Amino acid sequence: MKRHPSILPLVVLLGLVPLLGACTSNPRKQPASATVAAVGSQNAKVKPAKVEENDLEEYEVALVPDPLEPVNRATFWLNHQIYRFVLRPISKGYEKIVPRPVRKGIYNAYENVKFPVRLVNNALQGNFTRARQELEKFLINSSIGVGGIIRQSDRIPELAEVPRTDTGLTFAKWGMSSGPYLVIPLLGPSTFRDTVGLVGDAALNPVSWVAIMTGEFWVVVFPYTNTLRSLPEQLGTYDSVTENALDRYLAARSAFIQYRKQAASR
Amino acid sequence: MNLAYRLLVAAVLVVSLPAAATSTSEAEKRLQVAINDVVAVADRSPSSSALAGSLRPVLEKYISFNAMTRRAVGPGWRQFSADQQSKATQLFTTLLIRTYSKKLTPGEYPVIKFKTASAPAPGRVEIPTTLNYKGSQYNVTYRMEESEGWRITDVLIEGVSFVANYRTQFDATFKKGGSTAVIDALSQSVANVPK
Repeated sequence: MKRHPSILPLVVLLGLVPLLGACTSNPRKQPASATVAAVGSQNAKVKPAKVEENDLEEYEVALVPDPLEPVNRATFWLNHQIYRFVLRPISKGYEKIVPRPVRKGIYNAYENVKFPVRLVNNALQGNFTRARQELEKFLINSSIGVGGIIRQSDRIPELAEVPRTDTGLTFAKWGMSSGPYLVIPLLGPSTFRDTVGLVGDAALNPVSWVAIMTGEFWVVVFPYTNTLRSLPEQLGTYDSVTENALDRYLAARSAFIQYRKQAASR
Repeated sequence: MNLAYRLLVAAVLVVSLPAAATSTSEAEKRLQVAINDVVAVADRSPSSSALAGSLRPVLEKYISFNAMTRRAVGPGWRQFSADQQSKATQLFTTLLIRTYSKKLTPGEYPVIKFKTASAPAPGRVEIPTTLNYKGSQYNVTYRMEESEGWRITDVLIEGVSFVANYRTQFDATFKKGGSTAVIDALSQSVANVPK
């Protein structure tokens, strides 16, 4: 995710970024007996059904330290209102005005430009094969793909599914723990580790460089276009995770943690 | 490693590998049929809002909502009465179908590429796929189990498991108020139809 400092919030807004991006925690198995014991008295009048299946502990409760939960929940609520009343209308307008193929081209071009984030982090992780693949993707898409608008590299099986990476994932692969869970204003779910990683990502993203090196016009256009192009997908992901949740906050936190854990394992 | 042990290992592999290959193949075929059925129903649906209703019987044929609900609730499931288990399954099924159908658009066709499936345990298969839909690409893994035929027991999108996601929410709700709280929370979510 690439951003200029002035719109950091907006970029992060992609707090959804969290859903698409950032941390690994240490999910622990909940002690089943403790869980049941804690609530047993509340169900004393209900005769438990016979359970023959031995699969009730198949899934762990994804946990991450969340000492700031009250503050995080407040920030999450604020973000939700901003997504609902500000960003969603903007996103819908963008989808209505700009045809899907054009949106896709813009999206691809920005993804292509930020290849240094993936190149450098793959190298820092010691994965030089993926670093080479990222370089090849960039060269192919920038040339045959007309400046990255068309992902021609997808036609080459070896380059079609190179996992994304970022600075937060590099920290994870170095063995750094996620630290406490954070909900960043506008940006959304993160952890201490991934929040630090966002700074590294911004420093490696050419969109940030252009915004800093050029005049006022570009300062506004590049970062905001970068944010806008991601909105439909990010909000769609956010909706998928939270719309039918029992607890939106927990749903987003769990999805974020799972996503980052899986990304760090690849 | 002595010769007898090597022969034993070899014999086990010879016997088990074809069985595993058969199970993954059967599960893949079942999944392909399920996807085709879902796409066909979605394509006939007059609108997105009508989709959930028309998809329900199809999804119930291919998805084990009982297993998904049970595992999402976790050990606390033992404290549910039979009626509560039935109610929770019914409500959770409605939520899952609503979530799933919301992502489908009549007239849009997914392109799904199957990757190499694995059999982590007897009667269980994981099928990783790449889904291209509405201009976006996702890694989707289907977990399937053989129970009255092969049925889907979880779906992971970019590593995020449907069941694990609700497991976290159910666990917190159950700790606060037991099975009654879980049923109430499910009822409230089902009643609260997203716009």
